[in-house]
Amino acid sequence: MSWYNKRLAKSIWVYHMSASPCNNCDIEILDLLTPKYDVERFGIKLVGSVRHADVILLSGVINQKVAPQVKKIYEQAAKPCFVVGVGTCPASGCCFKDSYNTVKKREDVIPIHLYIPGCPPKPEAMIEGVVKLAGVLNA
Amino acid sequence: MHNYSEFISLMGNKILSKNEKQKRLYFEVGNENIIEVADYLFTKLGCRLSTATATETYRGIEVLYHFSLDKSGEYYCPRIVMTDKKNPRMNSITPVVRGAEWIEREMSEMLGVTFEGHPRPEPLLTGNHPQNIKVPLRKWRSNG
Amino acid sequence: MDKNVIPVGPYHPLLEEAEYFTLQVDGETVVDIDLEIGWMHRGHEFISESKTFTQSLYLVERICGICSTSHPLAAVHAMEDVDNIEIPLRARYIRTLVGELERIHSHLLWLGLAGHFIGYDTLWMWAWKYREPVLQMFEIISGNRNHYGMMRVGGVAKDVDPDKIKSLLDIMDEIEKKIQMIAKAANDDPVLKSRLKGVGVLTKKDAVDFCAVGPTARASGVSVDVRKDEPTDAYDLVDFKIIVTENGDVFDKTVVRLLETFESIKICKQCLEKLKTVNGGIRNNVKEISAGEGIGRYEAPRGEVFHYVRTDGTNRPVRHKVRAPSYVNIPTFKASCKGIPVADALITLAAVDPCYCCTERSIKIRDKNNEPYQLDLMKLSREKTEQIRRQMK
Repeated sequence: MSWYNKRLAKSIWVYHMSASPCNNCDIEILDLLTPKYDVERFGIKLVGSVRHADVILLSGVINQKVAPQVKKIYEQAAKPCFVVGVGTCPASGCCFKDSYNTVKKREDVIPIHLYIPGCPPKPEAMIEGVVKLAGVLNA
Repeated sequence: MHNYSEFISLMGNKILSKNEKQKRLYFEVGNENIIEVADYLFTKLGCRLSTATATETYRGIEVLYHFSLDKSGEYYCPRIVMTDKKNPRMNSITPVVRGAEWIEREMSEMLGVTFEGHPRPEPLLTGNHPQNIKVPLRKWRSNG
Repeated sequence: MDKNVIPVGPYHPLLEEAEYFTLQVDGETVVDIDLEIGWMHRGHEFISESKTFTQSLYLVERICGICSTSHPLAAVHAMEDVDNIEIPLRARYIRTLVGELERIHSHLLWLGLAGHFIGYDTLWMWAWKYREPVLQMFEIISGNRNHYGMMRVGGVAKDVDPDKIKSLLDIMDEIEKKIQMIAKAANDDPVLKSRLKGVGVLTKKDAVDFCAVGPTARASGVSVDVRKDEPTDAYDLVDFKIIVTENGDVFDKTVVRLLETFESIKICKQCLEKLKTVNGGIRNNVKEISAGEGIGRYEAPRGEVFHYVRTDGTNRPVRHKVRAPSYVNIPTFKASCKGIPVADALITLAAVDPCYCCTERSIKIRDKNNEPYQLDLMKLSREKTEQIRRQMK
């Protein structure tokens, strides 16, 4: 596996999955692609299909209606596929944890390997998170 | 303020009770008159329906429509009170105001109000929901 | 039946909701459109009832990350409307400044994504590049790029540092020049014009019937703007115009948004100049909100945000109703999408500014034998632009 992981770390392709977020982490993720941050210089690329993805960027507190879809998309991903929870929502549920419509245990829906807390995390924090993941893969 | 007095005298005894504030008029109408009032506000006066709020209170389920008169920035808010909490029913204004379709569908699923004459009385937010969520905004008040 | 059904979604996040469209098509033409929402429903109104007024401002800020000033601003308007609470003059200018900065960043964001949807990625990169200074300004003013946490009942949370006003004005000048450049480039582009003109027309009658708000309504000739209709904050003290156009197509919506951006820049500059001289406190200390009901609204980038608060004299609202502008704008798809080619559907759906995050979506077409095959709506939209470009050469 480590041989594969080392190749993976060279060019991480990410798929962005939003599971009832407030849109804010999502625009900050898109912001990474635009000229100021431009993560493509690290080989990080946003892809449209989860089948091409090495990393899933998950944003939002998963609600009950969207949970089966999230699970399905994760199952469709080619493994190994790492899930990064962007923002406070996947980490703690933010202010929505008391709602009637949110999933209480997000780990049951999708395993999250790395959290980037912040509401929303700054793009620099997101880059650092993914770079840390690459460091782990290279080890 | 001036416009409200004209409106109030025109509606006469259709208004059961009212509460007037600066640029806001909250008034109660009977279920049988709501379509007529909504038609007057929307078609004659040229108001825009901002939204509607359904609330559970001690008196019963209240539905409060918010009609905005954009020319002067005033609000006309007709209120309907349904005392039957088990099975609240009222007339739908969607045939008059097309934009009310989603608003009434949402109130219907959130507080269990049945809108008679609604063209599409199906859930909006909780359609095809894996868990069976029913009237979430009433849950904790009805228990007590 | 010859009609085929195309499901779009549900991975299409919106303000509070993701949506799941079903397009009924007859050949290339969209016959009917229906949508299912609720994928993003988090139950704000339910949670807000268990929070205090200040806590619920934190909550409503997280309804939408792009309108993260509009929702708290409308909420504090509603809470202030219960008791007719006055706010200090300096706080009024700060509120207006933050609100208008948000409009600039939101409109640029939309412009970029609209360009992305029709395959004009240069426009996307440009618009987002020049959006960055706006976020930088937010960072200077509030300390965060998004979710500013500026609004409080009775005023604002943070003051604008007088030493920084000059640098803020400098950034503002720079943004204005760059946006003028983008606007000129977009306006001169023949491909963009022929791609967007006459597409997805929303007539004035439909706009009134569906109670549309914001740029969606204003592009159809309905002059509705809360900033002028019911001026709160500093909107009656600054000079600006409302942009209204008549045609109601996607091109007009683009024009309305671009011109509004310039108006917003104008307002921001006036506010910053005033902040140099207007002194005084930034917040009245509001001890309690009495029993009653209040309506608050604010013109968000997408239209009127509506908040209704009902209080009983305690520190929590009994009912807190939230209505985001897209909630009334989205049903207008039913009118504007009928009869247009499938390749134009994406940009028409995007034109009311419902969503950003979804850069890619795949759709499934079922043929007569009910066999699904995959088709990319985005690819379709881009191919059409390419086709027009080739014809122009």
